[in-house]
Amino acid sequence: MNAFLTWLVLLAPAGAAVVITLTALRRPATAARWSIGAILVAFAASLVLFRAGATGETAVVWLDLPGLRVDFGLRLDPLSLLMLLVVTGVGSAIHIYSWGYMRGDPGLPRYFAGLSLFSFAMLGIVLATNLLQLFVFWELVGVSSYLLIGFWYERPAAADAAKKAFLTNRVGDFGFLLGIILVWSVLGTLNLAELSAKLRAAPPAWGAAATAAGLLVFCGAVGKSAQFPLHVWLPDAMEGPTPVSALIHAATMVAAGVYLLCRLFFLLNAPALEVIAWTGGLTALLAALLALQQNDIKRILAYSTLSQLGYMVMAVGLSGAGGHPAPAMYHLTTHAFFKALLFLAAGAVIHALHHEQDIWKMGGLARKLPVTFWTFLAGTLALCGAPPFSGFFSKDTILTLAWEREHYALLALGVGVAALTAFYMFRLVLVAFTGPAKSQAPDHAHEAPPVMTVPLVALAVPTLLAGFWGIDRGYARQYGAEAAAAHGWAAHLFEPFAHAPMAAWGGLLAAAAGFVAAWTLYRRAVSDPLPGLLGAPARWLRDRLYFDELYAALIAATQDLLARVVAAVDRWVLAAGLVRGTAGVFELTGRLLRHVHTGNLQTYALLLAAGAVVLLWWTLAR
Amino acid sequence: MANLTFIVFCPLVAALVIALLPRTFNVLFRLLALGATFLSLVGAVRVFLALEPGAAGLQFEQQASWIAALGIGYHVGVDGLNAGLLLMGALVAFAAVCVSREITERHQVYYVLLLLMAGGILGAFVAFDLFLFYVFHELALVPTFILIGLWGRGEDRNFATFQITLYLSLGALIALAGLIALYVLAGADTFNLPELTRHLAAQPLSARAQSVIFGLLLFGFGVLVSLWPFHTWAPTGYAAAPTAAAMLHAGVLKKFGLYGLIRVALPLLPEGARDWVNLLAWLALGNLLYCGLVAMRQRDLNLLIGNSSVAHMGFAFLGIASLSVVGVTGTVVVMIAHGLLAALSFAVSGYLHRNLGTVNLDQLGGLLRAMPFLGGVMVMAMFAGCGLPGFANFPGEALTLFGAWPAHRTVVILAAWGALVIAAVYMLRAVRALWHGPLPERWRDVRDARGAWVRLPFVLLLGALVIFGCAPRLLTDQIRPVVARLVEPGAKVGAATVLAEAAPAPRFTAQPPALPGQEVAW
Amino acid sequence: MNPGLEHYLVVSALLFCLGLVGVVLRRNLLVIYMSLELMLNAANLALVAASRFVGNLDGQVMVFFVVTVAAAEVAVGLALIVALYRRRQTAHVEDLTTLRL
Repeated sequence: MNAFLTWLVLLAPAGAAVVITLTALRRPATAARWSIGAILVAFAASLVLFRAGATGETAVVWLDLPGLRVDFGLRLDPLSLLMLLVVTGVGSAIHIYSWGYMRGDPGLPRYFAGLSLFSFAMLGIVLATNLLQLFVFWELVGVSSYLLIGFWYERPAAADAAKKAFLTNRVGDFGFLLGIILVWSVLGTLNLAELSAKLRAAPPAWGAAATAAGLLVFCGAVGKSAQFPLHVWLPDAMEGPTPVSALIHAATMVAAGVYLLCRLFFLLNAPALEVIAWTGGLTALLAALLALQQNDIKRILAYSTLSQLGYMVMAVGLSGAGGHPAPAMYHLTTHAFFKALLFLAAGAVIHALHHEQDIWKMGGLARKLPVTFWTFLAGTLALCGAPPFSGFFSKDTILTLAWEREHYALLALGVGVAALTAFYMFRLVLVAFTGPAKSQAPDHAHEAPPVMTVPLVALAVPTLLAGFWGIDRGYARQYGAEAAAAHGWAAHLFEPFAHAPMAAWGGLLAAAAGFVAAWTLYRRAVSDPLPGLLGAPARWLRDRLYFDELYAALIAATQDLLARVVAAVDRWVLAAGLVRGTAGVFELTGRLLRHVHTGNLQTYALLLAAGAVVLLWWTLAR
Repeated sequence: MANLTFIVFCPLVAALVIALLPRTFNVLFRLLALGATFLSLVGAVRVFLALEPGAAGLQFEQQASWIAALGIGYHVGVDGLNAGLLLMGALVAFAAVCVSREITERHQVYYVLLLLMAGGILGAFVAFDLFLFYVFHELALVPTFILIGLWGRGEDRNFATFQITLYLSLGALIALAGLIALYVLAGADTFNLPELTRHLAAQPLSARAQSVIFGLLLFGFGVLVSLWPFHTWAPTGYAAAPTAAAMLHAGVLKKFGLYGLIRVALPLLPEGARDWVNLLAWLALGNLLYCGLVAMRQRDLNLLIGNSSVAHMGFAFLGIASLSVVGVTGTVVVMIAHGLLAALSFAVSGYLHRNLGTVNLDQLGGLLRAMPFLGGVMVMAMFAGCGLPGFANFPGEALTLFGAWPAHRTVVILAAWGALVIAAVYMLRAVRALWHGPLPERWRDVRDARGAWVRLPFVLLLGALVIFGCAPRLLTDQIRPVVARLVEPGAKVGAATVLAEAAPAPRFTAQPPALPGQEVAW
Repeated sequence: MNPGLEHYLVVSALLFCLGLVGVVLRRNLLVIYMSLELMLNAANLALVAASRFVGNLDGQVMVFFVVTVAAAEVAVGLALIVALYRRRQTAHVEDLTTLRL
């Protein structure tokens, strides 16, 4: 039964995608029904499996060659069960929301087909039993992201953003594939269960390849989870429809990198983990800084996602060899809920304002869009780590981890980023939802229809309460860690302050400081005071620290150089040298030999006689 | 219908009939061609499905004596290696005839030549006599030159025709020299492949002779398969060729050289192979990186596809250079997948060229709005070309990378870059330039591919790519036993597998991995 | 002294070389032709001398063949030269180079 349900979870969205593509590309309602139905079925099945606590593996052989056996299988364990719930749960909310948000768009069936394809691919990553299968679904997630970012492909910005996202991801995937090949060549298998058993049985089996393989696998996460230096695609990905941003670029796909690291945690050794931790920390800081001066509501959220992903990656790195990355998964889960909520609420705002996305053209929306406002506020409080919201608990576990591992640099960095997070998020809330209207757009705003607000409320519930559901204990079970006993509600709320007061208070005070700063500057602001205060650095932040320009220049320079070399080789060596050269040699020979044919009778006679003499000498005299 | 002689000679007989028909029956020409290739396709499908994967020896074998004095006979058969290739060839031939509706002049000659090509390719894949193999190969190759010469397009089609003719003739000549040298030195007085194999297994040639002959075959067949640096004939040739010729040549004819190397050179000349594979791996990298970079610069769609096609051959060569079962199986899968993909890409570009008059990326754009079907097909083809899982190219490329890793680490690293990043760059650029973006005024009235007959070749080729991509075992289960027999297992003695020097790491060999619970010597 | 075979052969060789030099160096077609005849007759001399000194008549029979063929050749060749002269108004071999590449 479990095997059937698990296959159902995976294949329902796939079936929906295929059916929509083949039959329903001109029937929006049918397409929506298939897609939403499939994800709800998957959610229901995931719930059943979770309740039953099913574990195990089932597989079909996909490739069978000497030394290389790749299965197409499903793996159930605490990690994948919880992640299934996150993906299908958040996915269901967003599918339903999409029906309201995207209504009337001519490409709606294509949208739902893409969404179902994405769900299939993401669930494949969650359930994969071996590295190559994981890579297969990794790539499929990339391509569905491409299709959905570029959904409005007639807009050049969207088409370019889709291309950029896919290519940046591919750079990460390059490292990932090499890592997989390296793992296979050293350890002889790709199956996750076998790998972890092998490494547990004989840790030195790795040798010097360990760090390299760990970092190469991390490359995949860097690409997919948009860590520095491959972070440039995520903000541009906001060109896609807002539900897509919510599902793919906030809750699930970008979290796949973190999920990968947690899945393959047994492959990562201490040096690799150190690099991972610092990369995550730096990304968190960089993204938070860039978010300070963005004016597009979705971009702010995008950078906020980047920053939180940095937190998660940092948490993986901090977990250290011998520990376990449950804190990272915990934050991933809570983040999925509140970030999806934030994006969907932002989508409601955009929808209400007829696609106005600049916060400096909004204002006073709290009165016009109450449900949206309150849910957005809930999400913001969770993101800033205010108790009792779920984000407080998950962020605290990360800061606690840094404290326990005595990694004070990263702890300070985490606390600093918490302050920045509160600052830019409340900048957003204060400017967009409170204060005077800064343009005509808010005048006609009205609340979104229920098909959009119900998912908001549905997501607000875990945003508020997920801290009390013992998610971290569930993840800890994956790694065989001894879980602390469950507390009562009140005790649970104060437990972080008792357990690691520095981390908890640090995070809380930083968030408060950020809130106060934002309140001071933005409470009734009509335009942004920060550039005036900071001057040039503010402009640099607004221009995203010129990373895009740097990369474009680098790529253009290398490409240009390579292309010139290649063109020169093509023209001079190959075309001129080989091809025309060969032809030329023959032509030259022909031309030389032509001179024998003078047309002169006597020359011919002489040559004839000479030839006869040579022949005679050859046969007779030798 | 699952009779190899029928499959091979159906197109040839149809060619003869068309040649003899009076010119007035021009409706019949196309119908006959379609019918003949369709029957061959049905036969090939049946042979493919009826094949038993692990059986030793040949199936559906047919033998007859031809020139007994020289040991040349008519010997055809299938095993796991060529069943998939036969299917691919028949499918591409049928699709090529389907897209030939664009030809408006001299139909009769055109269809005769096309059917000769079809018969030649099908025959070459099932021939088990070296001379017969060469005859069918030339039978398929020569019409290419005529097709490009007479129905070619573009200003430099004359140059392209001459270049491709002379270049490929040169390659065929070198290969023939190798084959004859093999015949003479083996001293078995026969061209029959199974007999020759048995003879040489008992008395192998000297190492030096093997090395020389393998070199001849490598470069002879290599030129035919556009091995770098002997590849420049391919992009210009395909850009100038009519659609069906480009499909058949890029899709199928190019695979002969690879098939010849795997079928003839690897098993009969194992020691010679070992001398050449390092060079081959680096040349394969030349294909992948160099032609990939050239493809990045192209603004003409046909040149882009042509260069990409040459780049993919790099994988095939890399797989051969690995001398491992995994790698060579990957090569065969790449051959089949790429054949389908190249045919599909050229079919789409041919449609664009015919209906829009240009395939210049700078002048086209935003076509997805006007041509959703064709655009969707091409986007999928482009993704298949950069190795997206779900299409048959991914398992092939992955297998070649995995297979070649123990022996050629640096090459594999660079090849992975070429496969994942460079290929994605030019493929996505093509999509961006052709299909995405706003639809310009001048293309507002273009028509999409409509109607079952027009869509059929695209659907068939894409469908095959998807089926083999989702279920690669359909291919690998057949190919693996044959390749295991053709390639010596564990040939790479001494090639460093692991980076670990310190701890006693488990060395990878071609043995199955130790499952948890079995003893492993640490 | 008694002339032996070698004397005749030397004379024949000298005649042959004279004829060859004439063919190669002289510029008038008719003179070239006459030198050609000289070469043929030198061969005849060698054949007869050899036949005399070997003892059988094979050489002399061959001479008959050579003389016949020479006659036929002269007839055809002179006709060609006359036709050529009528066309080109010259019998100078350096003017007749239309067969060059």
